[in-house]
Amino acid sequence: MKRTLSYKLNIFLFLLPALILFVGILIAPIVMSAYYSFHDFNSIASKSMSFVWLDNYKELFSRTLVNAETGKTFVNDKFMGDALVNSLILAALSVFIQLPIALALALKLSKHITGERFYLSIFFMPVLISTVIIGRLWMNIYDPGKAGILNAGLKALGIDQWLFPWITKHITSSKLQFTGQWTGFKETALIAAFIPILWQYVGYHMLLMYAGIRGVPAELLEAAKLDGCRDGQVNRYIIIPYIKPILKVSVIFAVTGSLKSFDLIYTLMKDTTKAELPSTLMYKLLFLHNRYGLGSAIAVILIVLCFIFALLISLAFRDRGEKVS
Amino acid sequence: MKKFVALLLAAVMLLSMTSVFAEAEKTTLTMWCIATESDANRPAYEAAIAAFEAAHPDIKIEWEAFENQSYKVKIKAAMADPDTLPDIFFTWAGAFLGDFVDQGNVYCLDETYAQFADALPEVMLGNASYGGKHYGVPLTMNIVALFANMDLLAEAGYEAVPTTYEELIACCDALVAAGITPFGCAGSETWCVTEYLEPIILKTIGYEALNEIFAGRATWNDPAIATAVDTFQDMIIKGYFDPNGLALGNDQVKANFIAGEYAFYQNGSWNCGEVNDAEGNFQVAMFPVLDAEKATYSQVIGGPSDTLAVAATSKNPELAAQAAFELGKEICHYGYLAGSGLPAWTPDYDTSAVKPLVADVAAMVAAADGMVLFGDTAMSADPANTYLNFVSKVYGCEIDGAGFVDSLTSALQ
Amino acid sequence: MKKNGLVPKQVDIVTGEKKRFAFKPKALLVHLLLLALVFINIFPLYWMVTFSLKNNDEILGYSTKVKVMEEVVDAETGEVTMVEKEKRVQVLPNHVGLPKHWEWSNYTEAMKTGNMGQYFLNSLVVTVLAITITMIASFMATYAMTRLVWKGRKTMNKFFMLGLTIPIHAAIVPVYVMLSRLGLLNTYSALIFPYAAFALAMGILISSGFMGEIPYDLDEAAFLDGCGVWGIFVRVIAPLMMPAIATVGIYTFLQCWNELLFATVFVSSGKYRTLPVGVQQLFGQYTTRWGPIGAALTIATLPTLIAYVFLSKRIQDSFIAGAVKG
Repeated sequence: MKRTLSYKLNIFLFLLPALILFVGILIAPIVMSAYYSFHDFNSIASKSMSFVWLDNYKELFSRTLVNAETGKTFVNDKFMGDALVNSLILAALSVFIQLPIALALALKLSKHITGERFYLSIFFMPVLISTVIIGRLWMNIYDPGKAGILNAGLKALGIDQWLFPWITKHITSSKLQFTGQWTGFKETALIAAFIPILWQYVGYHMLLMYAGIRGVPAELLEAAKLDGCRDGQVNRYIIIPYIKPILKVSVIFAVTGSLKSFDLIYTLMKDTTKAELPSTLMYKLLFLHNRYGLGSAIAVILIVLCFIFALLISLAFRDRGEKVS
Repeated sequence: MKKFVALLLAAVMLLSMTSVFAEAEKTTLTMWCIATESDANRPAYEAAIAAFEAAHPDIKIEWEAFENQSYKVKIKAAMADPDTLPDIFFTWAGAFLGDFVDQGNVYCLDETYAQFADALPEVMLGNASYGGKHYGVPLTMNIVALFANMDLLAEAGYEAVPTTYEELIACCDALVAAGITPFGCAGSETWCVTEYLEPIILKTIGYEALNEIFAGRATWNDPAIATAVDTFQDMIIKGYFDPNGLALGNDQVKANFIAGEYAFYQNGSWNCGEVNDAEGNFQVAMFPVLDAEKATYSQVIGGPSDTLAVAATSKNPELAAQAAFELGKEICHYGYLAGSGLPAWTPDYDTSAVKPLVADVAAMVAAADGMVLFGDTAMSADPANTYLNFVSKVYGCEIDGAGFVDSLTSALQ
Repeated sequence: MKKNGLVPKQVDIVTGEKKRFAFKPKALLVHLLLLALVFINIFPLYWMVTFSLKNNDEILGYSTKVKVMEEVVDAETGEVTMVEKEKRVQVLPNHVGLPKHWEWSNYTEAMKTGNMGQYFLNSLVVTVLAITITMIASFMATYAMTRLVWKGRKTMNKFFMLGLTIPIHAAIVPVYVMLSRLGLLNTYSALIFPYAAFALAMGILISSGFMGEIPYDLDEAAFLDGCGVWGIFVRVIAPLMMPAIATVGIYTFLQCWNELLFATVFVSSGKYRTLPVGVQQLFGQYTTRWGPIGAALTIATLPTLIAYVFLSKRIQDSFIAGAVKG
């Protein structure tokens, strides 16, 4: 049997469909992107690509540039740093706010409380709604005009009286007053973008973790209970260490998801500069500036970053896992 | 499993048969444009295409309309694979079309133009001509106009739109005192900010200077531009603009203006028809002069920009060129009557039905001392968007006049 | 313990005891908190449905001029006269209430101009075929990497797992160029194959979990019956992978159904336009007419939500299975 199982042609044939898809549509384009990122060209069709070595990467990471003729420095409007910081903030918010909420819900719901299914179903529901729709829906919720439900709610409760001046005081990027333009200021736009993301994906992570908790062997829990552990202790010492692999997956998805995030910001805001992310900047550089080399460089940076973060997170979880056991 | 695979194969085969069988006896011309259902130009396109098909029963126009922003991506992407281009496509004149011409993807219209030279003055083709050759058929032309709600002005004690800057400021103060927001501007859409900023710069430095800058022949290094930007920002900070504008889109702002929430709204003349037909007492005017030594009241931002072009890969380029001109003429005709633009083509029809506001703007264009094409149309993609990136910092006052001028001077060589 | 009509039929997984309904303040607090979250989850959707049935006047409020009789006291004579005056009155928007006038025409309008039915169908075709291809390719590859014996199969698996972190948008330009060379732009295939490719890594991850649970004895038995590797795959493995279909399907669905950027750039014809692009397009058309926008949002969401209501247990279980086995 072993001979049959290791017959090379069969192995190759079984792998073929996946390899064609994977190499053809993922790996080859990434190699192409890397190749493009060392060039400067202003149309996809361009036959005249000039090789510029690392210039595109330098340009993306320069906060200021120097004019070749006058020697004056000036602000680089294609600087990627702010977008990167924004996506890292988004990632941190996801990991430290979204995931704990998801974990708390998963822990609670896995205790067979009344209405468990109902809660699970409701919390998972937004995952199935199109991001485009969620973006638009929240755009309406944030609307600073009369239709916006958020500001109407704040006004009805009188919260705007102290909240809006307080926000205005903390806005340093602009001299304008905050009167409820959540997507109009750099200081508020990113949070405004995070809330729909939180709203949509809490259910996703909750269900992942819930699944993990359901996989904890009953004997383990029983033993802990017999030892006199309270609920909190069971959660802390038994369940959470046990579902570490799933937590790892959740953290990786939350972080790489934040780095990749595009659709929501793109539909939520007409002007993405207020909450620029690497992917929205890439879109702009590719399709508005026609700087295909520069856009490809962001693509490459994104891939590398996603990769590094996935690796780091895996390492972090392995280390702590070893210490526990 | 076998059944399943068979089904799948059948499905894949069905899908690969994506070509559409055209009616054998008709020639089909395909066209892309941005006249979506809500676009002010939609009725003009529909009427023009119906008229064309009636006049040429052997030709069928298969057209498709895309949303403005995504169309820009789509058309640029399609240029990479010219075979996917339609026969006729909508484009903006200036550098936008220029890029496509450089790539060799646009059919030269010189031969066909000769037949239409009587109805279409050559000067109107200027923005779509490269190296002395014509590549685009202009549709309508548009300028930036200052729309005013006369009922609201009356509430503040004004019977006419102020024509000097001092008067305008006094008027704004009076409006604010009466509890009326003077201006509406969609700060979240950068092009709407340019509709305010460019006229203010124009009325400070004059049209020759601004034309030189947009054409890249002069730098932005002019302290007068910094003053102009500061003037604009002063007006914003003083509360002359709806603070919510920072997060509003243009359509919302326009709707607010029409609903009587702002006294003024400065935007393209394509809104004339809509404003004209709305309930209320509206007038059009120009932004007043800020520096009388350099600029005059009748200098305007705008020009023919909406254009139809023919793909070089078209299977029937001559026919498509013919159709582009005939369609362009009719779209211009119906668009002018509907008030979605001013005529780039000399009208050969009864213009008595033209809406009063449109006629007013047409008169302004006729009397214009000088014209400057919209900045983002005049510049090529990279500088144009760098310019817009800095403009987007202006409305929120993230950058001041000096910073704006310094940045653009260095960033756009 | 007393018998109580409120005893739920739940069994504690740990002790096996039936839980009794008992009033605990802490439990009540938890439920209140959970219900608050339920409210936060449901409210935006409720709001969407209600504003889809309102007209702009109700959504935005409006100002209107009302004729009012006012007493005017003449300063000299002290005479009181009634004078008709026009006053501007603000009518406040109806934010959270049910519509006062049910504006069903919003729906006919969104249906008619929005072409939502066609877009929905396109999304369905694209997603179903992408799921099918992902499934076949990932089952086959997983089989090769878990059941067949060869050096480097672990490395191959790691290679595929790279796909989990690669952002789909990073490949847009090269994939565009490739599709255009193959003449696939503007077809269903322009979306199906890229979607399948990007869902593949997840598919393989999940399939490995499921396939790992199929006993190897079955392969051997089939082999002894004279099956080759293909026979084993088709007769033994594939039928036992049925539960995996739903799980791979769900995860792939979540990736494909919402995708916007590829769908915008790779497909231009309205014939193949998918739902997210169609919805996005519609926003451009009705920017200020909230009613039809709400209607379009509702139309685009409802079929998925209805399917979810009927299949929620199934969907959750499949999703959970993916998490446990993946």
